[in-house]
Amino acid sequence: MAARCRTMGIIMWDKKCVKILLPLAFWLGVWQIAAMTAGFPLLLPTPVSVGCTLLELAVTGAFWRSVVLSLGRVLCGMLLGSVLGCVLALLTWRFSIADLFLSPAIRVIRATPVVSFILLVYLWVTRTHIPSVISALMVLPVIWSSLRAGLDSVDPQLLELAGAYRLGRVKTLRLVWLPSLRAHMSSGISTGLGLAWKSGIAAEVICPPRYAIGTELSKAKTALQSSKLYAWTIVIIILSLTLENVLRRVLRKSRRMNR
Amino acid sequence: MDGLLIENLSFSYGEKCVISNFSLDLPLTGMTAISGPSGCGKTTLLRLLAGLEKPSGGSIKGIKPEETVILFQEDRLLPWRTVREQISDVLPKGRRAEADQWLAFAELEKEKDVYPDALSGGMARRLALARCCALGGKLLLLDEPFAGVDVRRRARMMERLKKLGIPALLATHEQDVVAACQRVVCLEGPPLRVVPLV
Repeated sequence: MAARCRTMGIIMWDKKCVKILLPLAFWLGVWQIAAMTAGFPLLLPTPVSVGCTLLELAVTGAFWRSVVLSLGRVLCGMLLGSVLGCVLALLTWRFSIADLFLSPAIRVIRATPVVSFILLVYLWVTRTHIPSVISALMVLPVIWSSLRAGLDSVDPQLLELAGAYRLGRVKTLRLVWLPSLRAHMSSGISTGLGLAWKSGIAAEVICPPRYAIGTELSKAKTALQSSKLYAWTIVIIILSLTLENVLRRVLRKSRRMNR
Repeated sequence: MDGLLIENLSFSYGEKCVISNFSLDLPLTGMTAISGPSGCGKTTLLRLLAGLEKPSGGSIKGIKPEETVILFQEDRLLPWRTVREQISDVLPKGRRAEADQWLAFAELEKEKDVYPDALSGGMARRLALARCCALGGKLLLLDEPFAGVDVRRRARMMERLKKLGIPALLATHEQDVVAACQRVVCLEGPPLRVVPLV
């Protein structure tokens, strides 16, 4: 039985690898052929040269410092935006006066283009903090609208049941409110994380802080170092996919704990 | 006074008067069936007794809302909790082990680890009834307690319900359930009124 499970596990793992590696190899091949056909490395370097540049970067301390600091800034912004989004969602849901004044302002934030925000925030905040502030501003309306939708959708019959069966505030929160909000919050957090990451890097490109992925991207563009530009872009994509994957696992685990 | 005394009770949903000057005197012992056509106000009466609605007039004496436990017309099961957890969640900390005996009450021992979406309508109803009874109280207010439950199981569960010894008001349409109760109150409306038995 154990051997059979192990075999099944290996087959599943192989299937997963094929699903990832096969398309990756295909698109790398397309890229290689396109680069060789174009024959203009400044516009389209080969994946081999980009890979070599990436390896050269990865052995330097500055690379890791930029990666860690960029990640830190974006995650701080995400946290700040999420907390503010939750607080504002609770306020606007609970108090009609807060809803009257705050909801339009949050909708304006959501409608404002990220580039306008970056340039506006640049007038007020030091370069180092701009990516965090921008990420927070992008995440805030997403978390706000997700939580508002969640709060509005909590089943009033279950709340009445909790009251009639005298479950108390803590139990009602744990058994009715939190599980009802989970689905809305999960989608809000995953959308917010993607937005925070992209806007944070954009802010680093436009207002480059000292150590940051966006700064390196901007430098590579100015120096016409295409391989470096592509290598940093690959780093951004890998980090984005990794964050998404980690978040998905955490959310899946929390769902299992709930059920 | 050991009885439930309802005097001149009135209640309206907006403009619609559901109960007007309704009076009823019932002993607080055994099982009492409340029978009547759909929409006559049985559910509203149970909700008023449970304190979930505020009457616009009149009084309820002999029982306080906090001494009652209501079984809602809908099952109201928590979709993210297992069958066993539905019961253990409502029990105080020291009584959680009793959940298994309430599962036996509802004949749901085999389904203890499944979620409500995997239950049939009758099973969900039995679970909701067991959860309500597990809470205890001085008066059970049961709104359609056996909706969707088959006749044989209904009879077995009625016996178990009687053995609990908790007085109960059962709003029901099933004739066998009415017949198994110690007394019957026939109602009609709205506005709600007692139909004298001939």
